[in-house]
Amino acid sequence: MKNILTLVFFILGNYLVNAQETKKTLDSVYNLIRSMPVKDTSTINLRNDFTKQYLFANPTDSTLLDFAQYTLEEANKIKYYKGVVLAYERLALVYQYSFSNPYKALELYYLALGIIEENKTLQSYKWGILGNIATIYYEQEEFYKALNVFKEILQNNNQMELRSMANIANIYGSLGMRDSSIYYYNRALNHPQLSGNFMYEANLLSNISLIYQQNGNINKALESIEKSLKLIDSFNIEFVRPTAYANAAMVYLSNQKYLKAKQYALEGLQLSQNSGNLFMKKSAWGTLADLYEAEEDYLEALNAYKKYAVLKDSLNNQNRRVEINRKQMEFDFNIKQTFANVELQRQKTIKKVTFLAGAILLLTSFIGFILYKRKQEAVSKQKEAEFSALVSDTELKALRAQMSPHFIFNSLNSIGDYFTKNDNRKAQEYLIQFAKLMRMVLENSEQNEISLGEDLKFIDLYLQVETKRLPEKFDFSINVAEDLDTDTIIVPPLLLQPFIENSIWHGFKNKDEKGHISIEIKKANGFLLCIVEDNGNGRHQAMSVKKSFGIAITENRLNILNRKNQTHGKLNIIDKPNKKGVRVELSLPLEYSF
Amino acid sequence: MKVVIIDDEQHSTNRILQLLEPYKNKLHIETFNEVACAIDGINTLKPDVVFLDVQIHDKTGFDILKQVDFLNFSLIFTTAYQQYAIDAFKFSAIDYLLKPVTSEDFESAINKAFERGERNQLSDKMDVLLSHLSSSKFSKKISLASIKGFVFIDIDSIIRCESSGNYTYIFTTDKKMHTATKTLKYFEELLVHHEFFRIHNSHLINLHYVKAYAKSGFVTLSDDCKLEVSVRRKEHFLKACNAILK
Repeated sequence: MKNILTLVFFILGNYLVNAQETKKTLDSVYNLIRSMPVKDTSTINLRNDFTKQYLFANPTDSTLLDFAQYTLEEANKIKYYKGVVLAYERLALVYQYSFSNPYKALELYYLALGIIEENKTLQSYKWGILGNIATIYYEQEEFYKALNVFKEILQNNNQMELRSMANIANIYGSLGMRDSSIYYYNRALNHPQLSGNFMYEANLLSNISLIYQQNGNINKALESIEKSLKLIDSFNIEFVRPTAYANAAMVYLSNQKYLKAKQYALEGLQLSQNSGNLFMKKSAWGTLADLYEAEEDYLEALNAYKKYAVLKDSLNNQNRRVEINRKQMEFDFNIKQTFANVELQRQKTIKKVTFLAGAILLLTSFIGFILYKRKQEAVSKQKEAEFSALVSDTELKALRAQMSPHFIFNSLNSIGDYFTKNDNRKAQEYLIQFAKLMRMVLENSEQNEISLGEDLKFIDLYLQVETKRLPEKFDFSINVAEDLDTDTIIVPPLLLQPFIENSIWHGFKNKDEKGHISIEIKKANGFLLCIVEDNGNGRHQAMSVKKSFGIAITENRLNILNRKNQTHGKLNIIDKPNKKGVRVELSLPLEYSF
Repeated sequence: MKVVIIDDEQHSTNRILQLLEPYKNKLHIETFNEVACAIDGINTLKPDVVFLDVQIHDKTGFDILKQVDFLNFSLIFTTAYQQYAIDAFKFSAIDYLLKPVTSEDFESAINKAFERGERNQLSDKMDVLLSHLSSSKFSKKISLASIKGFVFIDIDSIIRCESSGNYTYIFTTDKKMHTATKTLKYFEELLVHHEFFRIHNSHLINLHYVKAYAKSGFVTLSDDCKLEVSVRRKEHFLKACNAILK
């Protein structure tokens, strides 16, 4: 029966030397604080301090949960983070000790740690909470986890050195690593923080005696337990007394001091019966059974063993229930944790998706904006182009319209000229021919462009009519290159007429021999080249007075056409050498209607 | 042969008389300058050829045609500058002379009239003529001079016209093809105001029968005929299509 470990955990501070006395004071304070309104940080600090003290005085009072919960809410309301952290810790303690729900406690401790992470000024509270977490690991028999945390605390926090060492020693003890355990107990026992803390010292001595005993260091075990018992008696440390008695019984037994062993076992039994602690009771009966056996009082030994066996069974059952309960809680906690992880993942995914969607939206709207602007620019450019085209069209139309009356007046001159020379009958025929020409001018000048064939038809008729009037003065020829399709090539109407008119009116004045006007149309370098050539007086004599109105209009029209269509039509008026006449070259962009 | 000249202006009548001078031996010529007298004259005289002015005082030559009982003659309208009337003449294939009348135009018109062929189907041509002069939106017809004579078809039933030298093939919704003795350009000028469009040197189409247009430049018509739109006409073609959709 030497496998019984009676270790006392070290979560408690040094307040609870006499729990019974404090409990009474605390009850009255509890009622007082509960009736106080929560106004400020100092009230919250007060409430948090009180919760911890009251918890260990009245571990079964469930009203403390509501009290701690309320403290937490109020601290949250005024954003008093230190208060929040401590309130979480107190709530966790309540769950851990009053409701035996270490998983809920763990959850709350982690919430507290989360707040600490966000507030660097609260760092100092981190280690206390980590210690509590490690204690839970220890209780859950996850020894190595607990060990790691306590070692971390030991390295980082001076204030908790003693507590960490004691716990590390306990854990090594539980793990059966007795040398390590003894080493840490000794370090704890030599620690300056221990001075004056007799409960802690008594407990440490009691525990180390058990480990010595298990390790076979009977003398050291005896020495330690006697120191512990001395402290317990001098300072009435009831909290440690039962375990110390149980340990003492075992130490004396293995030292073969049966009388003392029996005395402590029976007293321990008495204490455990008073407190209803089955574990102590079992330990006492086990020690007694060994004792009676050593005294060869077999009847008593059997009797003690029977009691021990019953208690062991019941404890095993209890342990099993606790175990099942523990597993259940662990399972619940894992499920909760899984759900929490899934939720966390979901939140992360939502965040990612939101961010991505936002980025895409931003990008799309940016691109959309650029496209829209580009489109707007294109539209406004097109509108501008359309407008300038309209202006050009209007200008051209005005110029063409000027051609008609200009032609009519010149024709009237021709007709008058004809009448003076001929009889009425012929004059009438001539007039009617001119009417037909005028109709063509009117119709053609309505159009932006006409086919080359139609324009040539007009030129031919015009020259026919004029030669009828001046049969002695000139004749004409029209040559169109054979590779020109006069039906599909389009030209601006009446461009050539002013030059022909100029040749007729001015070219052959004061000339005795018969003149000749030749019209030639051909392709040249991708342009339509129109040539009007005469063998008359030449420009110097003919044009010296003034520039022909018709030619001026044609030049203007050509300029506007070039600007509007981005083309390079050209007009060249060449004076042939030796005053042998004029050659007009008009090159137009070659355009087809189909 | 009996010839009637109807005109309210004496100098115009004189011009026709002058141009008829070479033929006067074989002709009986009557002239009228009032609508009422002219109607009676035609009914009693039953002429072979009638020269008819468009504007006669406050009435028109069309009023006379609507009221005469006798319609078996060759009709030649005379007009100065009335574009609406000239289009109507062209649609109905009725001959006309523009005043002042040149001797060349006159000779070709009078020779056709003497051949008597022109007087055939005058009342049908009259219907076409009057339909184009009225502002009603009833479907208008066109007289097609073919080798055999005249056919009268609804403009709305023409899907497309195709050039073949000096002739034009006209395809209609009843899946017939008519051969007309005029150039495609002639039809283009007439039909362009009836939502037809010259897509190509050889093709004039009715935009209402466009079924599809591919960006490659081919248009499909309701009779599933696929035609190329020449490059220079694409832009205008699309504009014209959009205008119709509106």
